[in-house]
This record gives sequence, structure tokens and C-alpha cells, in this order.
Amino acid sequence: MIRRRLCIALLAVLALVLAACGGGGSSSGPTEIAVWHGYQDTEGEVFKKLIAQYNQDHPDVKVNELYSSNDLVLQKVLTAVRGGSAPDVAYMFGSWSPNIAQIPQVVDMAEYVSEPDWQWDDFYPAEREAATVGEKIVGVPALVDNLAIVYNKQLFAEAGVAPPSPDWTWADFRAAAAKLTDPAKGQYGWLIPADGSEDTVWHYLPMLWEAGGDILSPDNSTAVFNSEAGVEALTVLQQMAVTDKSLYLDTTNENGPKLMNSGKVAMLVTGPWDLSQLPDIDYDVQVMPTFAGSPGGHQTIAGPDNWVMFDNGDAKKQAAVDFVKWLSAPEQVKTFSLGTGDLPIRQSVGNDQAVLDTLNENVPGTATFVENLNNVEKVRPTVEQYPDISDALGQAIVAVMLGKEQPADALNKAAQAADAALAEK
Amino acid sequence: MLITPDVEKPVTPAPPHPRRRRRLGGGETVTGWTLVSPAVILIGIFGLLPVLMSLQLSFQHSDLLTPETPWVGFDNYRKMADDPVFLEAIKHTIVYTALFVPGTMLVGLLVAAALNRSVRFISLYRTAAYITMAVSTISQGIIFLWLTDRDYGLVNAALNAIGAPSQPFLASPSQAMYVIVAMTIWGWTGFSVIVYLAALQGVPAELHEAAAIDGAKPFTRFRTITVPLLGPANLFLLVWLTINALQLFDEVYATTRGGPLRATTVIVYYLWDQAFVHFDAGYAAAMAYALFVVILVITGVQFRLTRRFGGTS
Repeated sequence: MIRRRLCIALLAVLALVLAACGGGGSSSGPTEIAVWHGYQDTEGEVFKKLIAQYNQDHPDVKVNELYSSNDLVLQKVLTAVRGGSAPDVAYMFGSWSPNIAQIPQVVDMAEYVSEPDWQWDDFYPAEREAATVGEKIVGVPALVDNLAIVYNKQLFAEAGVAPPSPDWTWADFRAAAAKLTDPAKGQYGWLIPADGSEDTVWHYLPMLWEAGGDILSPDNSTAVFNSEAGVEALTVLQQMAVTDKSLYLDTTNENGPKLMNSGKVAMLVTGPWDLSQLPDIDYDVQVMPTFAGSPGGHQTIAGPDNWVMFDNGDAKKQAAVDFVKWLSAPEQVKTFSLGTGDLPIRQSVGNDQAVLDTLNENVPGTATFVENLNNVEKVRPTVEQYPDISDALGQAIVAVMLGKEQPADALNKAAQAADAALAEK
Repeated sequence: MLITPDVEKPVTPAPPHPRRRRRLGGGETVTGWTLVSPAVILIGIFGLLPVLMSLQLSFQHSDLLTPETPWVGFDNYRKMADDPVFLEAIKHTIVYTALFVPGTMLVGLLVAAALNRSVRFISLYRTAAYITMAVSTISQGIIFLWLTDRDYGLVNAALNAIGAPSQPFLASPSQAMYVIVAMTIWGWTGFSVIVYLAALQGVPAELHEAAAIDGAKPFTRFRTITVPLLGPANLFLLVWLTINALQLFDEVYATTRGGPLRATTVIVYYLWDQAFVHFDAGYAAAMAYALFVVILVITGVQFRLTRRFGGTS
């Protein structure tokens, strides 16, 4: 008797707990889809306006947006997928694509985007590649950016150094950085994120490509970044960090824009997202230098991110695909880009001179970043072991910049670790 | 996950109530269970169940992405022995714990002894000593990042002012761990001050008076009366600080992200990195369980040793 009463009491409490956890449930009315995104401030407002417009024009669908920090969204999505409550659309970093491709609930977009009205080829090639894993297309481009030199005009003038030009080689870059360094004032020529994470690595990759090297062999089976080109590129970083001491090693990855904006750093290699954090200085933007005699020419690296769709039943899946198709159509791309200053993700918009002029008027230098998208020739390999490769390479780069190791040795060691990771799966 | 790095810092536990002798009647049992069941169920679902599930996970291969999680037996545990980074992480964790725990206890005891008196504004001083506990770990990390910055930090400005050369601190593989030790001692001193202050106030004044009449100097009185009576507080701090030190994560995440060159990669940081950056959740769970066993053993040994030698409690 007592047992039974106890059980009933426990069950009652459990029911309460479960009721609190549940909620929602299906009913008739518009199909509701959940969109997880990391847009805040201006981006957030423009994005919400677009969603409101979509909801108004499509009474049969209700798009619910939910803010979720971009850095943490993968962890949250994984948890949600496991719990059976995946979002219908989520903003995901492009570097996660090979891993995302393994989630069974992710919608393969290959058959959808082959339809001509998607204008898939209008997306920049780097965006399309970052969304493609083998035969699958795991998402639709959401954002694209790239790296270029942002420099403080006043510091260049004070030091009597000619501002960066498209003809600059890395030797010119190094010489200028040395002249712009003044230990007495705590002033550095250049700053690089130096925590050994992907943030460090993707600053090195365009240099590697420009020197004529690559990360992996064409069939993605072995690491080849320990080539002569790889050593040449890393030697530039070594000379600047160890010999010239003109390179500020930012172990936090947070100080770049702050030090740039306070005039302590003359050059940053960064993307358009940092421009709005430089209100106090007069800056300009220039493409990356080249290596003299290398066929690599000007390159940069694009960090494209994707809208990834999850299969929560046919109705929701269709609604999600339709929404993303609308969101990434040229008209909305233009609206979003002009409203936020983000680079247009479609070539037809990026080549529109009126759009470029307006973007540059709002945030000076943006047009250079848009044009720099044409210098994106290579992308990071879409293999699931990329986190391990990035880790090994990142540690090698930092070891060299701290003067602990020589470029060739460090790269050889990293290549061994990368090969081991590639062989494992 | 087994380990929640963000453990709330508790107040000193109250002395246990004298055990109630009367057995509860049947009706009262039901009422009792009903009253505690919300807490029990919640702890069961959100505490115990994940702990058991991560035990299961530690015997599986899981990348968190695919639904297949094949059983791999003890592979994840065996992998630890051959993983140079994990062995390095153990070394870093031991170094950190060996410096942080005695450091925090010593500084805390000295500050508490200084605050255990009645002077004007004493509450103000005591609040000041405790206030570091109210600073969030992330803010603390950012404050120390800038304080110890190689080029723009106040600490280096002070060093330069007395003619000493600038130090790279958190940017140097050989110094970063010591900066984190200093930072966390600063952050946790308030906690040990509170515990010691409570213990100091439990030291009977008569003993001090009697010793003073017998001619004992203040330092002798502190050494021979106060310190031995601090046994329980010492044990509590030793256990509590050790458990927290072995689970160091937030401070590393907020400052160095395990770097430079993995110099501050401690066990919990490394297992987080394996689970959520390298998608090897099974391996991470195995490391968490290995750490759990180590903490269990160390805590047991600490209890035993202190009971034997720790004197008076």
C-alpha cells in the first residue's frame, strides 16, 4: 500500500517534470520551421526583417528564428539531433562540412540545387566547394569572407613607408613591417593570431598557396604542406617574429582589432568583419602580397559558412528548403549585404558596381574584399580529419614563431601527425 | 559530461545534526519521499543518468555525429597510455595542483589571520578579501590577459619601472602555467579566507589568554594553539581545492586555450578538445572516468592521512 502511494507520488512528479520539458506539439495551421542563426546587432535586425517579410508573403509557413552563438552551434545542434529535436535550418561554419556530412538527418541539397532556378553557379566557387563533401552538398552558402591586408594610413605616413600596393612581395611586406615597428612606442608592424588554432592556420594557408604549395595531395591521402613552398612561407613568419620582432603574436586571438584601433599595430591580415571595429583610425585595404618568382600569384582564403538543413519530416523539410532558396536568392542577398555590410554571397551581386559603391561608402574597404573574392583559388580540403591536420599545423606554426623550432623540422613533424590521422579512418 | 568545470563554490558545510533516533512511521516515509522526489528525480535525470551514460560512452567509439556507436571495449582507456599529449596534460595538471592548492591555503590563512581582529572597517576589509570570488572566470581571464600583456600590461610596466626586463608571461610556454597558478590563487583566496576565518573564530579566546599569561609570544600562540585547531578547515580546503584544481578548465579556456604550444593543456581542457574539436567523444569520456578514479583515490588518501596525522578533529 505504502509502496503504491509512493509510486503514484513519484509518477505525478515525473509527469510534471515531463510536461515542463515538452510543449509545442503538432497542430494544423502554418508549417513551422526553426532557424538557428548567430546574427546580432545590425545583422540580427536585417535578418529578422527578412524573416518577417517572408512570413508575411507565405502565410502557410511560419519561420521562427532563434539566436545561437556561431562558435557553439555545432555542439548544440549535435545535442538537439540526438534528442530528436533538430532545428530545420542552422547556420554552420564551412570548416565543419566534412563532419556535418556524416549526420544522417542533414538534407543532401545536391538534387535541389541542380535545378536551374537555384542559379547554383552564381555562388562563388569557394562557397560551392565548402558546401560539397564528395557527392553530397550539405548546405547552401550563408556568408563568405576572405583575408586581405588592412593597414593604418597614418602610421605608414609617419614612418615614411609607401602604403601596400598590389605589386608587393612578401619581402616588401616584411621590410615595411620592420620599419613600422618601434619597441619604444610598443608599436608593431603586423599582428597574427598565435594560439595554434585554425585561426592561426588560416592566416598561413594563403601564404602556402601563394608560394606554390598545398595542404594535402590531390587525392587527400597525404600531407604535402612540408614542401619547399611550405618552408618558404613559414620562414617569412619566422623572420618577422624571431629575427625582426616586427610581428606581434596574439595568443588570445582577441587583441587584433583593439590594438589596431589604438594605433599599436600598423597592419592586420583580416577579413571584412573587423572593419567596423576600427572607428578611430584611418585605414585602407589591400590584397595579400605575392612571393617573387612563384606562379602562385595573389591568393587569399575564403571562410564560407552554410545554411544546413535537417530532415524533420517532408513538410518541414520542403518549407526549410524553400525558405533558404528564397533567402539566398539574388534579391535577398543584395538586401542583406547592403543592410549589413557583409560581402555578397553571389557573383551577380558582387559584380554589381552600384552595390560595390554603396558598400564601400558605408564601410570603406569593403569593395576591395569583394574584389578579393576573385583571388580565392583554393579551399581547405573537405576531409573529416581536417581538425587533426589543422591542429598539427597550428602547433608547428606557433613553435616556429616562438623560436622553438626550425620551419622544415616543424612542418615535417606536423606532416607525420597529419598522415597518421589521415591513415586512421 | 562527468565533470562540470563550473562547479559552484560552496559555503562551509554546517556541522552535522545529531542523528535522529526515532524511526519514521510509514505515512511519514511517503510524505518524506514525496517532498524530496522533485530534487531526487531532477538529480537523477540531469546528474546521475549522464554520469552513467558517459561511463557507457567511454567503452564506445562515438564521433557525436553518426548514430552508430560501436563497442570498443577498453580501447579508449588503452589509447591514453600511448597518447603523448594526454601524458603531458597529466604532468601539467599535477604541476598546477601542486602549486595551486598549498598556495591558496597559505595565502588564505595569512589573510584570514590578518582579518581575524576587531579594527575599524573590518567588514570592508573582509568583503574586499572575498570579492575576488564574485568575479566571473571569464572576466578574471580577460583582466589577467591585459595585466600580464607582454607589451601593454601593467605588470611589465611595473617591472620596467624597477629596471627589470619585460616578460612574455601568458605568451611564453615556460611561464604561462605559473601565471595561471597566480591568477587562480588570486581568484580562490577569498574562498579559503572565509573557511579559515570561520575556523579561527572557533578558537577559544581562553586558550590564548592562558598561554599569554604563561608568557607565550603571539607567534608561538599562533603556531601552538591556532594552527592545530585548524585541522578540519585544512582537510576541507585540501580536498575541495584539490578536486577543483584537477578539474581546471575555465581559466585555461579564457586565457591561453591550452597554449602556447600546449604548455597549459590540462586534462579537462584536453578532453573537451578531444570531444568537441576532434569529435572523439568516447575517448574524452574515458579520460573523464580516469580522472574520476584519480580524484576518488586522492580524496580517500587525503581523508585517511589527515585522520591519522591531522590532529584534533
